[in-house]
Amino acid sequence: MLEKERVVESAALGGRATDRLTNAYVRDEFGLETIDLNVGPQHPAMHGLLRLIVELDGETIVRCDPVMGYLHRCQEKIAENRMYPAVIPMTDRLDYFANMHMEHGYCLAVEDLMGLEIPPRADAIRVLMCELMRLASHMPSIGFLLLELGAFTPILYAFRERERIQSIFEAVTGARMMFHYIRIGGVKADLPEDIPEKIWEYIESLEANFERDFVDLIQGNEIFQTRTRGIGKVTQEEAIEMGLTGPPLRCTGVDFDIRIDYPYSWYSNVAFDVITDTEGDAEAAYRVRVGEIKQSIKIVKQVLEKLPEGAVMGDVPRRIRPSEGEGFGRVESPRGEFAVHVVSDGSDVPYRVHYRDPSFVNMQFLQEILPGHYLPDLMPIMGIVDPVSGGWDK
Amino acid sequence: MIDTLLGYYNQEPFRFLSAFGAILFLTLNIAAILTMSERKVAGYIQGRFGPNRVWPRGLLQPAADVVKLFTKENLSPRGSDLWIFLGAPIAMFIPAATIWLVVPFAPGLVIADLNIALLFFISITSIGALGVIMAGYGSRSNFSLLGALRGAGQLISYEVPLILSLLGITILSGSMSLVDVVDAQAGGFWNWYVWFQLPMFIAFYVAGIAEVKRIPFDLPEGESEIVGGFMVEYSGMTWALIQASEFALMGLMSAMGVTLFFGGWQPPFEFLDLGTFNWIWFGLKTALIMFTFLWIRWTLPRLRMDQLMDLGWKVLVPLTIVWLFVTAGVVLVFPSFFG
Amino acid sequence: MEVTLPQGDLEGRPERYLEGFQSRHGLEDAEVEGSVVRLVVEPRIVPAVLTTAREALGIKHLSFITVVDREGSFGLTYELLDLRGVTVRVKTTIEGEEPVIDTVTRIYPTANWHEREAYDMFGVAFKGHPDLRRVYMWQDHFDHHPLLKSFEISTKRTFEGLR
Repeated sequence: MLEKERVVESAALGGRATDRLTNAYVRDEFGLETIDLNVGPQHPAMHGLLRLIVELDGETIVRCDPVMGYLHRCQEKIAENRMYPAVIPMTDRLDYFANMHMEHGYCLAVEDLMGLEIPPRADAIRVLMCELMRLASHMPSIGFLLLELGAFTPILYAFRERERIQSIFEAVTGARMMFHYIRIGGVKADLPEDIPEKIWEYIESLEANFERDFVDLIQGNEIFQTRTRGIGKVTQEEAIEMGLTGPPLRCTGVDFDIRIDYPYSWYSNVAFDVITDTEGDAEAAYRVRVGEIKQSIKIVKQVLEKLPEGAVMGDVPRRIRPSEGEGFGRVESPRGEFAVHVVSDGSDVPYRVHYRDPSFVNMQFLQEILPGHYLPDLMPIMGIVDPVSGGWDK
Repeated sequence: MIDTLLGYYNQEPFRFLSAFGAILFLTLNIAAILTMSERKVAGYIQGRFGPNRVWPRGLLQPAADVVKLFTKENLSPRGSDLWIFLGAPIAMFIPAATIWLVVPFAPGLVIADLNIALLFFISITSIGALGVIMAGYGSRSNFSLLGALRGAGQLISYEVPLILSLLGITILSGSMSLVDVVDAQAGGFWNWYVWFQLPMFIAFYVAGIAEVKRIPFDLPEGESEIVGGFMVEYSGMTWALIQASEFALMGLMSAMGVTLFFGGWQPPFEFLDLGTFNWIWFGLKTALIMFTFLWIRWTLPRLRMDQLMDLGWKVLVPLTIVWLFVTAGVVLVFPSFFG
Repeated sequence: MEVTLPQGDLEGRPERYLEGFQSRHGLEDAEVEGSVVRLVVEPRIVPAVLTTAREALGIKHLSFITVVDREGSFGLTYELLDLRGVTVRVKTTIEGEEPVIDTVTRIYPTANWHEREAYDMFGVAFKGHPDLRRVYMWQDHFDHHPLLKSFEISTKRTFEGLR
């Protein structure tokens, strides 16, 4: 490799970051410079509105800086002016590929604050909806990974499956995407009469066809393997240091899953495995997601078999006005650990709501791991993390 | 009377003008039909219909596309070198259009029976690479520059296996003229060169996909990272010309593959010979190969730049060189089989 | 580089962690509620406490850093997970209108962006942070910190009469 001399003047506190952040330029003995490429915010493959200021030396990425905030909707500030139940539709719009988990996290936090008991049927329905949502999120994740690698077909198979799951959601909650279903104290309404039957039919058909669409055509494909094997390789130490959770962490070998380690809701009544892989690269993340889809299918079947009877809403006061204190809720969303911290001051609007979104935290991984890779490797590496724009921008 | 008319017709400049017109008609129609068939094939692979609104069943979609592209504004970035920017689509169109001059469609139906037709093919194809570099540099954009550099590397690298795969044909047929190559493959489909030259055909096919910059080799145009690569700044008719030249070149690579390896206009069995209407056989075989191009595009992901170059230089070039020696050896040892 | 997570039962582990913190830093307000170890510390010993958590007790994951604007002081909450059921919550209060605290990025590198978000939204300055820039808001011409209670949005006036 050519020897380079690097002159770096780092930015002061609160310095300008719209142009070059650091006055760093790389000059080697041929007098060559790096170019700054602005990947995004308008870009077909950036998982939303993300601006990556990428400094390239030929095709090698030297430095990468994500600039976010293009979808910032001030959710935490607005939540300080909305009554507790009215915050739930806003949580829907956080990570819009995992709406149920976002609602669930917030409701768990408020229930922790108020000390509410949830009836078991409501818990079971929550788990059922969350696992269906996980299916509806992991399949497009795989699809997006392949879309950015250049194969345009698996994303359409994934969205076909997602549409079927969304029609189940429409029958249960009334909406295809922004459900507002999980409420403080339970769920909004019971499942319709014929829905367990329909979910069962769908899950059986998914189990039969899943391998054909998402595994057979992809896993053995040589081009897919060369593009994802060894890309974005990260060790367990580095992964935990960078705060990764969810599939990006589990693909390195750390078996941390909030459903098992910090159990919540009805998960102690279902049996499933935590899928880990040892490699820690993009192909491992793909395999972890495939494994998690199979586990979710297993969980949905178990919940449908053991669904308890009873009410779906607990003993919740009409006006939710918790006493002063704080509540914490934590769920395993398809992208990692989603935590909510609610602070109350005794009135009927929250004093502070803080969302810890996995997409936001996992994006640090991008900044750390990209230098040294080629520009086309940006895509499989984003496929490891699979961030969602509503998540990192709140 | 008809004889005198035909006599006039066969003289220059009428012959040149009608040939020119026929070439343009053929090239642009192939491009148009390919856009539509690509979208339909893509649709069916992905479990949906392609465009099916424009009567009938979507088959006139190219006409709608052409009308739309004519009415679009041709933008150019500020500060771009306009001569190079606008000359690039022309440079890309030249190989796609010109090489059809030497392709034999049926016995006697070839516009220019050059006796160095293969050399002509090789040399004119290189102008396409020049067009890509012009497009990327003239656009004055970082994305285009990346696309142009990738394109330059890829196209020039894959010309080597493309050329080497033709040398076996030259040995077997003893001539560089495409008419002679097709004539030497007469006598049923067992005489086609693809059986003996299978590795060469594979190399030619893969290099052909790379020359046309289609997936899995579409990194110059890498839609997911550099959004259009060297042609990101083009719009309207300039972009349409680049697309048309890409599709026409794809048709051309299929046609050359058919001519060199699959017998050109030769029918698979002797009794199916249609005389001057053998261009039907030529068309069928070319369409089949074009379909495989489309099929591959919608199935496979794309290769990264260094993996692409590895494939070209470390796999295809040794393959073709080895098979060239094998061909030469076999022809020397068994001269009776291969005249 | 294998990472070993805490083995064994949940029983007794929160108490062990509490023991570990108490023995190294004399903490007045520290207790165990279920599987949560709650500590209230002074702002200036937060890096020391977190170093104890990471090095001595093996608590490897920083989940989030929350800032609450109490209009006169700022309450910070550092939530640490030991990835096997126990949560350690370190709470601290910074007095005054201009909050300054030491960074914990050298201890938990993931705190980098959490602290950037706290700076962006509340103006909390983290001393020693390698790259303290705004993360959501405009970096050039926006001098406010939106989540402060003094930064009013217009809908607040709409709700005023209803309560």
